[in-house]
Amino acid sequence: MFDFEFGEDLELIAETAKSFATDALLPKLREHESARAVDATVRASYAEMGLAGLELPESLGGADLGALARVLVNEELAAGDAGAALALDPLGPALYPLLEIGGEDAVREFALPLLETDAARAIFVDAADAELEVGTTISGSVPWVPSDRVDLLVLLRDDEAIVVRDGIEIQELRGSGMRAAGASELTLTGAPIAARFEGRAEAARARARARLYVASLLVGVLRQAADFSREYAIEREAFGRPIAHHQGLTFLIVDMLAAVDGARVLLHEAAWRLECAAAGEPAAAMAFAEAIETSTFVGPNAVQILGGHGFMQDYPVEKYMREARALGLSIGGLDAAREDAWTALADAGSHVQLSHLEVAP
Amino acid sequence: MNFEIDAAIQGPLAALRERGRDEARPIGLEADRLGRPIPVDDPYFAKLVARGEGRTRWRGPDGERKARSKPKSTGSRPSRRTVKTLLFVEELAYWDRGVVVANPGVGLPEANVIAMGTDEQKERFLGPFLTPDRPRWACFAMTEPGAGSDAAAIQTAAQKDGDHWILNGAKCFIGNATRSDWILAQATVDPSQGRDAQRAFFIEQGTPGLGGFRIEKKMGLKAYESTSFTLQDCRIPDANLLGGEARYEKRDGFKGAMKAFNAGRPIVAANAVGIGRAALDEALAFAREHDRLADARVRDRLERAARKLKVARLLCLKAGWLADQEKSNIIEASMSKLVAAQVGQEATSLGMELLGTVGARGDHLIEKLYRDVKALDMVEGTGQIQRIIMARKLVGLPR
Repeated sequence: MFDFEFGEDLELIAETAKSFATDALLPKLREHESARAVDATVRASYAEMGLAGLELPESLGGADLGALARVLVNEELAAGDAGAALALDPLGPALYPLLEIGGEDAVREFALPLLETDAARAIFVDAADAELEVGTTISGSVPWVPSDRVDLLVLLRDDEAIVVRDGIEIQELRGSGMRAAGASELTLTGAPIAARFEGRAEAARARARARLYVASLLVGVLRQAADFSREYAIEREAFGRPIAHHQGLTFLIVDMLAAVDGARVLLHEAAWRLECAAAGEPAAAMAFAEAIETSTFVGPNAVQILGGHGFMQDYPVEKYMREARALGLSIGGLDAAREDAWTALADAGSHVQLSHLEVAP
Repeated sequence: MNFEIDAAIQGPLAALRERGRDEARPIGLEADRLGRPIPVDDPYFAKLVARGEGRTRWRGPDGERKARSKPKSTGSRPSRRTVKTLLFVEELAYWDRGVVVANPGVGLPEANVIAMGTDEQKERFLGPFLTPDRPRWACFAMTEPGAGSDAAAIQTAAQKDGDHWILNGAKCFIGNATRSDWILAQATVDPSQGRDAQRAFFIEQGTPGLGGFRIEKKMGLKAYESTSFTLQDCRIPDANLLGGEARYEKRDGFKGAMKAFNAGRPIVAANAVGIGRAALDEALAFAREHDRLADARVRDRLERAARKLKVARLLCLKAGWLADQEKSNIIEASMSKLVAAQVGQEATSLGMELLGTVGARGDHLIEKLYRDVKALDMVEGTGQIQRIIMARKLVGLPR
């Protein structure tokens, strides 16, 4: 039966991630952004928390805490700095195709070595986000990945995962957001395929986990954007009172917070579903779609509330607006997420399933 | 974290679904077509009462004594009453929200009477609802022509006269008022004192001065009566002041009413989700039947409506879960109501759009749902009021 509490273990992890984000990431937001990297002392203190193995199976030395722990940690880290959150996680969503389709052996062979390498990055690429031709080798380009280095590339297609280690040319980009993690275009010319793992259902599950990964970063950014602009609006006065008390802004601020809470509860439900119940994949697609739609509302309006100050880089809201938009573009973006969410509705016969909560018709 | 509906709730939900489909929906459609409330003597009501519905959840004087003497168990599992109620309400509203309101029972004032009523009042006013001999109703009257969401502004006057009170004023949009055994009416002893001066009175049907009943013509939810009435020098004995005068010396007269409203917001939200879900199911069925699902624009809109309803449902259940945990849910309750009323409206409107001109005929279920659901953005505080309630907490908006 319904329980909206995460439980002590998860709350403790989220709390740890939150303190780290507040103390180590938030104050260095712009520094990390312009350096295109997270500084070494911050990386070291992150490593001490042991979050790198959060979702790894226990047999591989991980904590095996699953999707719920991941979304909570990501949300907290991204509330500090989404770019840094990506930079600090050597595996990122690239873990999911390896784990779900390739299994533990694939993780052992391709992912674990990265955990031993300083600042290594495995890069997840959804086939929808790239123009790649796959034969006995792989060629083509990936317009953007949030990284300046690629130790491992994991390409997720509808029915398989392809692992590439060599033959990747990296061209640095300015990047619209998440610059703390870097930004590059990748070109592959006859790049050798290191491994190939097949499985359609497993691929769908890997995509769902990747969507939750990105959606939780998005929700973290949006929560922070909404909170920051709310607090600003309480402090800032115009026409003789806090601007938050002018009803045009009062209602906007409240609607923004409601939108974030809605996206957040959908995210948590999807993570729980993926972990503990049926139909996690469409729930994850829906949660991602909701986070993206919410980002188009909350991101620009967080800037709006600060007025001219919002446009200036002295405040972080312009960064939130850029990053919220960029995060929602991957894994096929909103359209692909909506299509996958729709498929489950269409399969439900004449009775629309909101979350498989209702009894069978 | 858990979002599962266990078997103990699925069973009753399935029963509600069956009854909703077989009874409530046809009766609701008929009332809508005829443009009148379900008559008091409709065999449907008698059938409900015969099978044990329409009873108070007050356990009677003996039940209450037993409950009082039993020490409160510590460390027991938290209640799940609100969450259960929300799921049931959503399912009932899916079939017909108007019929649910028309159903016999104590209804809206029940929580206040149980919480604030004296033992004597509970026995007098809730007693007949323990095992009712016939369909019985009661109602709560707060709204006035000049005071809706601003409930502190009500003008109905209560003046002390010996061991009686004299009530004068007008109430409107009161559900089931003409058929109620008694009306719990909110009045003020001093309109300039706002909420602190408010009192609630039991007015029994037939009391001289209670009259001028007018059943309103509504856009939707026609199955139950929304009624205006007047109070003209209506003499009410002291014994009918809810909770007795001592309670009001502690200045919680208005809070009693507001507490009921607060508990009601997620319930209104669940109603909106239920109506929206019904519209979405009908819209999907219509689109499928007319080969519209190959159109990505149609698919996208249906997906979005389903997603928004899911958001609303989860916000609503979260608000209810907080209430069950006895944690403050002021923001969440308002948020759920704000969001659910909007997305319920959007779902019905989308349904109309997919129907095309079929929707304009005025005889399709979706068209009825489109009219019905609008009320839920008004009752228990409009969407605008919900935002203000949230803003007091979130940005310190002054009262």
